[in-house]
Parts: sequence; C-alpha cells; structure tokens
Amino acid sequence: MGVRKAKHGWIYTIFFSLLSVAWVFPIVLVLINSFKKKVYISRKPFAIPTDKMFVKWDNYVNGMEKIHFFDAFKNSLFITVFSVAVIILCTSMCAWYISRVKSKFSSGMYYLCLFSMIVPFQMVMFTLSKLANMLHLSSPVGIILVYLGFGAGLAVFMFCGFVRSIPLEIEEAAMIDGCTPVQTFFQIVFPILKPTCITVAILQAMWIWNDYLLPYLALDIKRWKTIPIAIQYLKGGYGSVDMGAMMAMLVLAIIPIIVFYMACQKHIIEGVVAGAVKG
Amino acid sequence: MQKSLKKYFPVFALPTLVAFTIGFIVPFLMGIYLSFCKFTTVTDAKFVGISNYFKIFTDKTFGHALWYTAAFTIVSVLLINVLAFAIAMLLTKGIKGTNIFRTVFFMPNLIGGIVLGYIWQLLLNGILAHFQKTLTYNSAYGFWGLVILMCWQQIGYMMIIYISGIQNIPGELIEAAKIDGATNAQILKNVTIPMVMPSITICTFLTLTNGFKLFDQNLALTNGEPSNMSELLALNIFNTFYGRSGFEGVGQAKAVIFFILVALIAVGQNYLTRRKEVQQ
Amino acid sequence: MKKKLVSLMLVAAMAATMAAGCGSNNGNKNDAADNSGSTTEESTDDSQEESKDDSQAASGDGAVYYLNFKPEQADQWKALAETYTEQTGVPVTVETAASGTYESTLKSEMAKEEAPTLFQVNGPVGLASWADYCYDLKESALYKNLKSDDFALIADSGEVQGIAYVIETYGLIYNKKLLADYCALDGAKIKDASEINSFAKLKEVADDMQAKKDDLGINGAFTSAGMDSSSDWRFKTHLANLPIYYEYQADGIETTDAIKGTYLDNYKNMWDLYITDSTVEPTMLSSMTGEDAAAEFAMGEAVFYQNGTWAYNDIKDNEVADEDLGMLPIYIGVEGEENQGLCTGSENYWCVNKNASQEDIDATLAFVEWVITSDEGRTSFRDEMGFVTPFSTFTDEYQPANPLVAASQEDIDAGHATVAWCFTTMPSENWKNGVGSALLEYAQGTGEWDAVKTAFVDGWAAEVQAVSE
Repeated sequence: MGVRKAKHGWIYTIFFSLLSVAWVFPIVLVLINSFKKKVYISRKPFAIPTDKMFVKWDNYVNGMEKIHFFDAFKNSLFITVFSVAVIILCTSMCAWYISRVKSKFSSGMYYLCLFSMIVPFQMVMFTLSKLANMLHLSSPVGIILVYLGFGAGLAVFMFCGFVRSIPLEIEEAAMIDGCTPVQTFFQIVFPILKPTCITVAILQAMWIWNDYLLPYLALDIKRWKTIPIAIQYLKGGYGSVDMGAMMAMLVLAIIPIIVFYMACQKHIIEGVVAGAVKG
Repeated sequence: MQKSLKKYFPVFALPTLVAFTIGFIVPFLMGIYLSFCKFTTVTDAKFVGISNYFKIFTDKTFGHALWYTAAFTIVSVLLINVLAFAIAMLLTKGIKGTNIFRTVFFMPNLIGGIVLGYIWQLLLNGILAHFQKTLTYNSAYGFWGLVILMCWQQIGYMMIIYISGIQNIPGELIEAAKIDGATNAQILKNVTIPMVMPSITICTFLTLTNGFKLFDQNLALTNGEPSNMSELLALNIFNTFYGRSGFEGVGQAKAVIFFILVALIAVGQNYLTRRKEVQQ
Repeated sequence: MKKKLVSLMLVAAMAATMAAGCGSNNGNKNDAADNSGSTTEESTDDSQEESKDDSQAASGDGAVYYLNFKPEQADQWKALAETYTEQTGVPVTVETAASGTYESTLKSEMAKEEAPTLFQVNGPVGLASWADYCYDLKESALYKNLKSDDFALIADSGEVQGIAYVIETYGLIYNKKLLADYCALDGAKIKDASEINSFAKLKEVADDMQAKKDDLGINGAFTSAGMDSSSDWRFKTHLANLPIYYEYQADGIETTDAIKGTYLDNYKNMWDLYITDSTVEPTMLSSMTGEDAAAEFAMGEAVFYQNGTWAYNDIKDNEVADEDLGMLPIYIGVEGEENQGLCTGSENYWCVNKNASQEDIDATLAFVEWVITSDEGRTSFRDEMGFVTPFSTFTDEYQPANPLVAASQEDIDAGHATVAWCFTTMPSENWKNGVGSALLEYAQGTGEWDAVKTAFVDGWAAEVQAVSE
C-alpha cells in the first residue's frame, strides 16, 4: 500500500479539504435554516438567520410536538435494534444449517435467498402489507417478523459465504466431545462468525433505520410512526408545509446517524468492504 | 454430524423459513397471481387474464418512467463509478488527512432517502431561485437533481470498496510495470483496472440496482412533478397502486415487469463483468 | 450444564419473539376488547390506545373512530375528543389523513377490521363511492338542527346520507390598507375599493398596481399562484369553479357528464392576470406553495390573495392588521357580475358508517350531537377550528371572530348572489390533476392554453367514463 508520499501531496490535501467542505455543506445548510423563521426559509435559504429571522429553538419545539418526534425515535430504535438482533440470530443459524446439511431444502433455500435479493420491493409491497395486516403483524413487534422475512435473503447469503470457510474439523471435534448442535453453534461457530455478524448487522441496520415504504405500508401508522414516516408526514400531512419544523426535524433525524457513525466508524467501513467482497 | 443436525431443523432453520415464507414467498406468489386479476383488496380478486398487462401499454406514464429510469440509471452508474474510482485512486496515495476525507465522503450514505431528498430540495431550489426556476420546472431539472443526489449519497460507499480493491493490488505488479517503462495511463489500463475488476463488478451491480429501484429520494425530491414527468419506475408503480382507484391490478402487473427487468439487468451485468475478472 | 442453559434460553427467547410477532395485535390492547377473527368492514370494536378498562363497563360498549379530513384541525379534534372521553368515558379515536390522501386512506381503513365509524365525503361525487356505507341520518340530532336541506346529501329514496358540518367561503382576500394607499396615488384608476365590481375594473387596477409596485412597496398585485401539488387546488379546483358555475347557470343544470367549457376564455383571462401581475416569475410556480402565497400576503408584499375564510390562521399575527382584511368576489368577466358575491359552500359532509355495530353507530351519533350542542364543542368550533356551520345550534355568540368570516357575512347582507360550490361535481381527482398540470405548463411557457382546454373538456368526459366503469 502507498507508503510513498505523492508528489505535490499538499495540492491534493487542499483540493480534498475544499471538496469535503462542499460535501458537508448541504447538511450545514439545513442546520442553519432550522433556526430561521419559517416564512424566510424558502425565500432566503442561504442567509444566516439574524434578528427577525432567528427564532432559536422554536422550530424544534414546534416540530417535535407536531410529529411526536420522540415517539417516532423510540419506534425506529426499537424496530431497528430488535429486527437486527433477530435477523442475526435466525439467519446465522439458518445459514449454518443449510451449509452443513446437504439436502434439497438447503439448496432450495439458498437459491431462494439469492433470488430474493433481486426482487424489488414494489413487487411484494401490496400483498405484503395486506398479509401483514391480516396476520396482525402491523405493530412494531410484528414488523420484526416482516423484516426477518424480507431481509433474510441477504443475511443468509452472506452468512453462508462465511460459514463455508469454517473448517468442518472444529465442529466435528466439538460434536465428538458430546456437544449438541446448539452448543456447537453458539460456542464454536457463532464466535467465528462475529465479523460477519457485525457486517450483516450494520448493513441491515442502515436499511431498516432509513426504510420508508415497508413500515409505511405494513405498520399501523395511526399508532406508530418511524422517523422517515414522521418526516414525510410533515410534508403533506398538515395541509401546509411548515418549513421551519421540517428543517428542525431533518436535523434531529440526522443527529442519531452521525452519532452512530462517529462511534462505530471503523466497524461500519470494514463491514461495507467485507460485505462487498463476499457479495 | 449431518444426521444429528437434521433433527434440529425446527431450531435452526424453521424460524427463518417461516418468516421468509410470510415475508417474501407468499407475497411474491400472490403478487404474480394478482397481476392477472382485477382487485381492490386482496380478498376480492377477479381473474381477468392478461388485460392488466395490455393496459400498461396504453399508460403513457409507464413508458416515460421506464425511459426516464433507464437514462437515470445509466448516467448515475457512470458518474458514480468513475468519480468514486478517481477519488479512490487519489486517496490511496497517502495524502495527509486521507482518513478524515474518507470519513466525510462516506457519511451521506448513512442518511435515509427521505431526509436526503428534502435536504437537496432545499439546496437546489435555493440555487435555482436565482435563475427564477425551480426543481419541478421540467423533468430535466428533476433528473439532474436526482443524479446529483445519488452521486452525493453513493460516491462515498463505492469509494470505500474501490479503495479496498486498489489496496489489494500487489505492489510488485505496479513496480514491475514501472520498471518495464509503462506510463501511468498504461499502468491504469493494464494493471490496476483488471486487478480491481471484482470491485468494479460489485460497485456496478450495486449502483445499477440502486438506481433502478430508487424510490424514497424520488418521492421526497420531486414527488414525480411536474405532471408525473420526473417519476422513476418505482414511484410510478406506487402511484398506480395507491394514487388511483381501480388500477391495483395494473400496478401489480407493472411490478412484475419491474421485477423481470431488474432481474435481467442484475443477472446480465453480473455475467458480463465476472467474465472480465482476473483470478488472483 | 450452565452452557446448555444459556443456549436453551437463547432458543427460548427467539421462540418467544416469534410467538409474540405471530400473535395478536400487540400488548397495548385491552384483552377484553380483542375480537380478532371478524372479517373486513365489520368494526366490532374500536377501543384504541387511550381507552382504559372503564370504557367497557360505562355507557354502552360503543366507540367512535373518526377519520378526519382537515389536517389543519388535527390537533384540535384530538383535544375535543379527549374532552368528550373524559366526560362520558366513551373512547373516541381521531385520525387525520395526510393532505390529498383522504380517499385512499379511507379506502384502506374501511378494509380493516376497525373501520372508521365517522367519516366524510366531499359531496355528490364522493358520495357515489361510499353510498353503501352511509347510515340514514334522518332521525339524528344533526339533521334535526340543520338549517336547510341544501346542506344535506339526500338520496332519491329520501335517506339522509351526508350532512355538511362546515361551510366555507372563498374569494379574493385583499389588504384594505394597501388598496387605500393605491387609491391615494396619482393617476390611480379608482378612488375606493367599492369601485371594483367587475373583471375589467379588477384587471385595470391590478395592472396599474403592478406597474407602480415600487411606489407601493409591494412585490406584485397578486400573491404567487403556486402550483405545488400541496396547494394547487386553489386554481384547478377553486378558481375552476367559476367557469363551471356560470356554465351550469347558463344551461340551468346542476351537474353534467360532459362539460362544454363555455367560459374557458374567462378562466384564461383570470389565470393570465394571476400569473402576470404577480410577485414572482411564472417559471417559479411549480414549487411554490400556498404557504409562500400566505407569507407574501401576510408580510404585506402583495395586495390580493385568493383563498378562503380558513386562511385567516395563516395570515394573522404578521404584518397585516385584522381590520385591514377584506374579501372581494372573484370576477371573471361575466355579464351581471356586479351582483356576484363570494363563493360559499361545503366540501365536507359527515357520514356515519352503516356497517359499524349498532353500539358504535349510537356512540358516534351521540358524539356528533354533543359536538354541535355542547358548549365545549361549539367553543372549539368557534375558537380552535374557526368553523362556520349550517346548524341552528350555533347562535351568534358561537360564530368565529374571524374578519374574513365577517367579510363574507357583509357580502351576503349586501345582497350579492353567492356563487355555489360546483367543484363537488368535478368527475375525479385525476381530472383536477390533468387541468392543474396543463395550467402549470401554460403558465411556465412550456405548454399551450389548448392543452388546458383539452384537459378541461375532453378530460371531463373521459373521467366520467372511467369512473363509471
């Protein structure tokens, strides 16, 4: 890898610094506008709010009340965390099973998972939402099952890729020692799969946290809204578009992501690479 | 071991299988069946053969959305991959601050589609206002707005993948080429790109399918305005289902066609690029 | 041993999650209330999150689920519902459909087990889709207190299927102070607001104002005619009402399967006026919203703003004083328009779900009766929601203190002929969207007026056909 320094490296540094600033600018813009009085936002989006335009925290308070932001946040958090946990648990076990047990079911399942990765959501959106409603899965708990179903494809596929690289001897040794398959899995296989778990967890979390359409259709949104749904509701849900509240809520929606990113950056990037290599 | 494991099927595989059936298999099969029916809720479907598919041909918005989506996908795939690759090349030269730059460029990928759409709507409308235009003035503005948005979101992600691909090229190969007197351009064409082909396959696949299936950002940025001219396929299908009554069957039929298209593209692209990969 | 326990626990946890997921509709619901197994359309119980156990034991077992149309009053309805529940113990759920999604939301909600017990239709056209779901309101307090049958949707059989609950008026809201400033200018075309009583006069004044906008300190005579999909109803529906109304008048009909478009030239004249004498360039219109227009008016940047009595909430407390708010009729250049008044009518008719259980129906009827007869209900309508209603229970003290409402009253008192709301006869949302798109393209310069004519006339017949299929 390039230990060598590039010639005129400082030019590149400056170039990229400028590019980075430009890259972050859109977010900064929203931040600035979240402190502006709403009548001024569309007219003067680039102006820094001063005097009459500056409304301190009004937009935030307003917005949070309007869309019950903390409820949406709780819902998003609950659904994401538990869906990811369930997906990791179930799909890793399933992947191990179908990699170790050669049968028509195993290969069928594997190819179905592969297949499901290509199917666009629109194909199943209507039927899935109706099914979810009929089976009473329209709650945050129920929708975890839906996410497991729809997200299983990618997860099983990725786990299978890694499981194949685990030497059978280790597992067989454990079995000979008297471990049941469950013990073998949790004590031997699962720890080895940890990096993959992180990868899958991150990819799934990114998808589920930001997902709009699936919860919109499957969840009973009268009672539970997730963050993307709440934000979209701000646009059309109130007859008028409160730009001030909109800006403030966009900022609030971005903050958790940035916090998560700063905390887990290394893992996220490793996960993305690993996911791509195996995929 | 297989035998003992087989007994544990209910523990290991059943939950996933059940969820997968409910969450994917059943809706998928129902979807195919319903595409041949006229229905409003799932329970009142009437079989009508392929008339839904015929109705698609008379729906001008579908043809337009198809063309629009294809153009959008091609443009965004090219731009994203070329730019991401270029940036990746530069960021593997050991410049000061590389890590910070990587962090910054990747960040937009974590932000959700809806939020992203509104951020850029504010920005682009603000800029366009100086020219007395808005994003929804005509579909071309919406088109480029979407392209810019996609680039901002995806370049960081693809860049990461390319960086890892480039870093995996054995240094000796490059050294050897240099000793042989190859220019930078030749090194790029004959050494770097072939060695990075797996990454190119992945990135192309991802940007292709992402572009084709785009929905959230489309909904937020333009919502298909003006007059459904800036609708991508996914939004068009959504509107057919939920925007009008009586067209659910047509919507499902469109979705089937959508799926077939995506499948063809995915499989085709995969096949083409895998052939070009160099085994390490 | 311990390890086996851990793995067993994990498996159990997983199984529990599965079971919980597959089980009944989450733990929030009262077990007593759970009644799954019933099929669609039957709403056998509606008890939702705010109800506690006592609701089941108290006054009847019915519950109310109101699907509200007006997002601007979403919170107010929720508050009113809570008050009612506190007083009577009957659970009332209010949900509001997002703007422009009422029909589709109603459709999907009606297909669910817990369907709305109280909903609304926009008029005869909406009623056509939902007539099978409308309970006969003839015996209800709502109907008994209705001032006139004009405000009810009555089927040929005599069944009262819908009752209007709010009457609204719209016209050209104008800033009296700015208009007076204009009159004081040299070379002003009029000396007083009352002289504007025809399209010709309106155009003269507006054009002149536009020319002299710097002197007046405004950005344009009219606020921006924003055509963003959230608020273009002002032009594809409200403004379009006038040519339709006059055609119906001329032909002596109340609805039609094939509109002729006799007054489309007048429509064009008015639209041209809106986009020429405006605060912004026409190319900006596709993203501009009603809020932008309201903001422009409220900040004193324009003189005329087409909207209705409900717009008061958006304009007040900015730069235009209450006493400076007035409303002019929308003149489009028709003979005899000196006598034309403001456009008044209703697009909001309450209907009670016939397929709900009798308990729920009774509970719903009791609820709406309370709304229009109780002090809390009427005060809420007056102060929080600003509604003018067709019910005789709303005596003078319960009329909203809204200067625009006062202006509409003045207009009626002056003896002007109110323009009825004919847009409830427009064939479908799709028709409106077609006209709207054509209007926008024409305004931007990317389309011709002929496209508007086609969308208006040919589109009408096509939509009538498509809807009846």
